[in-house]
Amino acid sequence: MRRADEDQKMGVVATVNGRERRFEVLPRVSLADSLREELGLYGVRVGCEHGVCGACTIIVDDLPVRSCLMLGVQADGKTIRTVESLGGGKELHPLQQAFQRHHALQCGFCTSGILATAQALLEENPCPTRDEVREVLSGNICRCTGYQTIVDAIMDYAACAQANDTAFDAGAGESAT
Amino acid sequence: MSKSEIAQIRPKSIGTSIPRREDPGLLTGRARYIADIVLPDMLHIAILRSPVAHGRIRHIDVAAAQAMPGVELVWTGQDCVARCPGITSSLEQAGFAVTVQPLLAHDEICFVGEGIAVVVAHSRAQAEDALERIDVDIEELPVVTDALTAVDGADLANAAVASNMIYHSNRVTDPVDEAFASAALTVEGRFKTPRVNASPMETRGFVASHDWTSAALTCWSATQMPSFIKTMIAIFLQFPEQNLEVITPAVGGGFGQKAHLHPEELLVCMLSIELGRPVSWIEDRQENLFRAPQAKQQLNEMALAVDNDGRFLALRDRVTTDSGAYNSLPWTPLVEGHAGILVATDPYRISALSAESLSVATNKCPIGAYRGVGFSAPTLAREVLIDRAARKLGLSPFEIRRRNVIRQEDFPYQTRAGMMIREGSFLETVDRLEAMVGYEDFRKRQQEARKEGRLLGLGISIFSEISGIGTRALNFLDYPLTSHDTATVRVEPTGKVTVTTGIVTSGQGHPTTLAQIAADAFGIPVEDVTILAGSTHHAVGFGTVASRSAVFGAGTIGRAAEIVRGRMRAVAARLLQATSDEIEMAQGLVHVRDDPGRGMPFAAVAGAAYFAEATHPEDFDPALEATAAFDPSDIVLANGGHAVIVEIDLETCMARVEKMYAVEDCGRMINPMIVEGQIRGGMAQGVGMTLLEELIHDDRGQLTTSTFQDYLLPTSRDIPDIEISHLETPSSLVPGGIKGMGESAMISTPAAVAGAVNDALACFDVAIEQFPASPQRIFEALSEAAVLDGASLPN
Repeated sequence: MRRADEDQKMGVVATVNGRERRFEVLPRVSLADSLREELGLYGVRVGCEHGVCGACTIIVDDLPVRSCLMLGVQADGKTIRTVESLGGGKELHPLQQAFQRHHALQCGFCTSGILATAQALLEENPCPTRDEVREVLSGNICRCTGYQTIVDAIMDYAACAQANDTAFDAGAGESAT
Repeated sequence: MSKSEIAQIRPKSIGTSIPRREDPGLLTGRARYIADIVLPDMLHIAILRSPVAHGRIRHIDVAAAQAMPGVELVWTGQDCVARCPGITSSLEQAGFAVTVQPLLAHDEICFVGEGIAVVVAHSRAQAEDALERIDVDIEELPVVTDALTAVDGADLANAAVASNMIYHSNRVTDPVDEAFASAALTVEGRFKTPRVNASPMETRGFVASHDWTSAALTCWSATQMPSFIKTMIAIFLQFPEQNLEVITPAVGGGFGQKAHLHPEELLVCMLSIELGRPVSWIEDRQENLFRAPQAKQQLNEMALAVDNDGRFLALRDRVTTDSGAYNSLPWTPLVEGHAGILVATDPYRISALSAESLSVATNKCPIGAYRGVGFSAPTLAREVLIDRAARKLGLSPFEIRRRNVIRQEDFPYQTRAGMMIREGSFLETVDRLEAMVGYEDFRKRQQEARKEGRLLGLGISIFSEISGIGTRALNFLDYPLTSHDTATVRVEPTGKVTVTTGIVTSGQGHPTTLAQIAADAFGIPVEDVTILAGSTHHAVGFGTVASRSAVFGAGTIGRAAEIVRGRMRAVAARLLQATSDEIEMAQGLVHVRDDPGRGMPFAAVAGAAYFAEATHPEDFDPALEATAAFDPSDIVLANGGHAVIVEIDLETCMARVEKMYAVEDCGRMINPMIVEGQIRGGMAQGVGMTLLEELIHDDRGQLTTSTFQDYLLPTSRDIPDIEISHLETPSSLVPGGIKGMGESAMISTPAAVAGAVNDALACFDVAIEQFPASPQRIFEALSEAAVLDGASLPN
């Protein structure tokens, strides 16, 4: 067990978006801030910093996690996916495409977190009901859309994936190019 | 040429739901919001905020804070006031109380959350650490929290506001007493709308970078009003405006909250100038709930006189706005009750109005703009009263509205407040909404549900929306302001079009919808247009507020494009051996009217203007670039209605929305998908304000709802699917027949939700007039009716 010294940065080794990343952070810095400031992953949005709004949701070891409620040092040894991993370099992932098609975002600030929540849901349950989607989404606040089109987009994506017999694949956008 | 001239735009891309071009950046996390603006050598601030609602600073000691690790500078209010006295907010209205809000309090403190000192450090965390070392001694003063008792009370909320009265007006004083005395029925109530926070998912934020070598001050602001912010910085800090740029990055929602000049914005500029380094302020959520402009808190004491047939005879309203401690800029608290009361009768024929409005200072955060500002509260009061009258007269809520809405044959109809209504589809809205709801079936279902011990209620609301707010609308609302925008349109040598606009987006889709407008102005594909926005080096705009961007986008781009089109037509006329008047532009071609065969590609005409002098007519001005202003010649009025069905759970006393319906008439829609997005989002906010959200201050002015765990925003479980239907009455004042519509849902949904709750409770003869209709308030209402003792529900 290492001693957490308030002023001393600690080393972290984690798999982030498919690559091993090493960074140093002060023990009090949240995982959200660590990812943003140490790794430049600014797609992680910070909305309330007390775990209610869900904007900072990322996937840690296949589970959706509020990155404002985890410390950066707790990422050591973990596998992390942020919105930057979704899709490939030059094309939107089909889930993102469904969001665009259905107008499931307006200001976009909650979108990274909502995509992570949806991604984690679909990996566990590839064909959810509308009600299940609404239930899972209730941990992410969107102030712009009224949620309906987000549910539409997730359902549409799930139906398409079902038809094409493709399970959720974070790199699907890339493979399509 | 007049600034209200209506340019010709032939809708082609307009009217289609093309996907938004800004989405890929937002969906991939690549878009940069204010918190993602990171500059070399940048410093961060944290602000010490007052723990008391009213007091006087006796002593403040920052020495220990100054010595903390990473701290570059600590300023108190005294340091600030020497450089800038504060934000003066005045209006040219007799009797209006001017306030000066210091950037940091240096003497009197007027609300919890008001800034007292600022720390600049290498990180936000270090700055926050240092805040804890500031020693401040505050003499507490009596706290004024209730606007009603504050009037003529002995205690003042702000020493600058005598009698706590910021403004008191009797704008319309029809003799209504006679109508009330002779009316078959009078319905009245005291309707309280809650103090709320617009709560954009991104908080406020501002970055300033001063470079002494070039004398330039570059700012980044999560704002809806960059041009306004720029000019205010120039005025309040006496900074040369030509050296100022305000850049708007991606903005994570605004809803009006980001349509103000915030003291922190001036403070950050001053600190960057002082230190010669970039300085960043990113608000945290708690600061936002304490200090970002709050909204909507009105008391409407309203009465409606109705005859035997359900016809409205007169309306009396006395509105009190709980204004907070200072006037926000530019809106001042008049944007709430005072503006709202002027639309209290719309969209109904009501021939007598008595309208009195009071804006009262309290020791709370200043009130400001939030979607539908001013209009939500009186609309709620009026529509709930209309339902009540309908019940008493045995009329359906649709029928009573049908008998009173302004009809085709009434146009032009002047409301008693003085607004001229020339067009609209009020009657059609009522009919459409009734069909969507299936009214008779609903009443049957309601009865059946009651037998099962379930309480259902239906509420409806009919609205008109003053959209595209320009000078005429502002003047009607008693703001002596001028408000026009400009756009610059340039056709490039290869026939592509670049538009620069002052309109910034915080989610409304302008990069897409303005491109649709520009494409149709030239008859070219939308892919050939790029919209440049987000820098005050671009065109001038009043701001993305008041449902004005669609109107001003179409107006400015249309007028500027028309100038450029004229020059292109002159070249094409020469090349095609026709006259200018005969030249048309469509489908990427410039051709002789009715003869597309005699034409050439749009790009070829552009190329000729740039590179082939031989094609130019005599005295030809080859600038394929023009800037033009627009300001509509009168109020641009949209209209529609909403219906909401709620179920009240008798166990938990919670009201849950089961279904919502919207009818919207915003003239010709630019992008129907985006219109519907605005409706759904606004309706969700309307549900929030009416059932969930409330900023609660205790009697010492302490905010007791300072996190999202006690300030409740609607989630995906709270908002059902929404059915939307469109009517289309094109505007005669705007190119393409376009109207604004972004605020409508928030104007009228609260009324429909409130009506639905009251419809559910009506069988017990109890009513709720204070909102949100929380479980506590519903419990109290049901207790009053002794319903919770296990008695069966009335049929």
